[in-house]
Amino acid sequence: MRALVLRRLLTAIPTLLLVLLASFALMRFAPGGPFDGERPLAPETRAALEAAYGLNLPMGEQFALFLQRTLTGDFGPSLVYRDFTVTQLIADSLPVSLTLGGLAILLALVLGLAAGMVAALRPGGWADETLMLVATIVTALPSFVTGPLLALIFGLWLGLLPVGGLGDGLLSAPQYWIMPVIALALPVAGAIAKLARAGLAAALAQEHIRTARARGLGTGAIIARHALRPALVPVVSYLGPAAAGLLTGAVVIETVFALPGLGRYFVQGALNRDYPLIMAVILLYAALIIAFNLIADLLYGWLDPRSRA
Amino acid sequence: MKRIALPAAIVALIALAALVLPMLLPWSHDAIDWDHVRAAPATAGHWLGTDELGRDRLARLAVATRITLAVALAAALVSMLVGVGWGMIAGWAGGRTDELMMRIVDALYALPFMFIVIVLMVVFGRSILLVFVGIGLVEWLTMARIVRGQVMTLRHRPFVLAAEASGAPVRVILARHILPNIAGVALAYLTLNLPGIIMIESFLSFLGLGVQEPLTSLGILVKEGADDMDVAPMGLQVPGGVMVTLLVCLTLVGERLRDRFA
Repeated sequence: MRALVLRRLLTAIPTLLLVLLASFALMRFAPGGPFDGERPLAPETRAALEAAYGLNLPMGEQFALFLQRTLTGDFGPSLVYRDFTVTQLIADSLPVSLTLGGLAILLALVLGLAAGMVAALRPGGWADETLMLVATIVTALPSFVTGPLLALIFGLWLGLLPVGGLGDGLLSAPQYWIMPVIALALPVAGAIAKLARAGLAAALAQEHIRTARARGLGTGAIIARHALRPALVPVVSYLGPAAAGLLTGAVVIETVFALPGLGRYFVQGALNRDYPLIMAVILLYAALIIAFNLIADLLYGWLDPRSRA
Repeated sequence: MKRIALPAAIVALIALAALVLPMLLPWSHDAIDWDHVRAAPATAGHWLGTDELGRDRLARLAVATRITLAVALAAALVSMLVGVGWGMIAGWAGGRTDELMMRIVDALYALPFMFIVIVLMVVFGRSILLVFVGIGLVEWLTMARIVRGQVMTLRHRPFVLAAEASGAPVRVILARHILPNIAGVALAYLTLNLPGIIMIESFLSFLGLGVQEPLTSLGILVKEGADDMDVAPMGLQVPGGVMVTLLVCLTLVGERLRDRFA
């Protein structure tokens, strides 16, 4: 177990470096810069600005400096949000994104596992057919369609829920979270339902389950004690890609529902060529995806002892 | 075939409408009807009404669907070529080459690709070509994995061994014996890739980074509709509906093809 963690952490380092190098190179060698405004700056002003942000150093040196700072948790000042450091911006927006993503994956797991279980009890029955069709439809629903549609129906027409924003604090007003979380969770819930159904149906068809049934165990006990753990394996191995999907979806959801999260800063940062901000967000996303994949692999080993090598 | 026919027919119908409608309608997708700005549906020959600039919504919808489908198909083909090529080489070569090639795929899976595509878009300008390339580069990974697995099982089948023993060159074996046997799976994953690509393209367009005016795509129409939904909800519902129908039908066709071949 410890060897696995160590090996994965070691392979994560070159991946993260690659991400950093690629995005750094991409942004620096591209035309256009953060100080290109409506009016061209005077050459002296421009030079002074570039010197102040270290943009006049040789590329290799800039990258080395960047790495060194990053390791100490200092991502530098934002080039667009003056007077804010990138670390500050991230510290403000990361909790919003994590709350959104965490609630969404929780909801997706609850809905998906419940639907998968009901469907797997009678493979081929009407509940199975209906639920799986619904799961397919829900998986294919893009969050940028469901988000605005939900806002239209429950926000504008029925007036039940606020259409955007966060209220006063992070969790002070739960009604602000309902629509964003549902819109983000639905596609993931659909995918989990399908995986859970397939895993559970396969597990329930095995011989030790028949033995348990013959011994007179009830369906609930059989699922809880014997079938659920192996059935969760495909669900857990999907969690890594699911996390990536949630991060991408969150960008749209945060834009649609005006949530001050990381995704919105990323889009704004990319549009404004706010180099330090983009680099920090990309690094964070890559690290999150790697972390999620690692957690998924660890859970995998716990659920299926055969995979522990 | 029965369960595939219905969703496939719906996709074909939408595609046909997207191709034919612009030729039948008296308005082009960017022509402005000054007398009927924000017209309600079915006024003055505008079946779906006009948008805030007086452009015919039906004509825009048809052109948007056309472009979305074209981008998806082109990007899916790119990703299929790369994925099938990569997977075949890795699966056939085996050993260290295979190990290295699959490690690269694993590493790429871990990248936040969507964000790199966004940065690409911002940095190198917003051309349709770049949308293709960017999406095609993201979507080949799963295809490569699946094809590699298939090739590895085919590798030791008697007919392949026989061809090898009779001295057929590798190129011929791959083209004549391997490729026909993975065509079905490749087709299934090509279809399954389409909805994913449509989502990425629309996602980029939604953020204002994809297809640019005067061209339009379903993602742009959904975005415009969402901005305007308090006064003209149809502007969101109709393109959103078309897009969801396409996505659901393509997913159903792809899943059912996959269940058949894999």
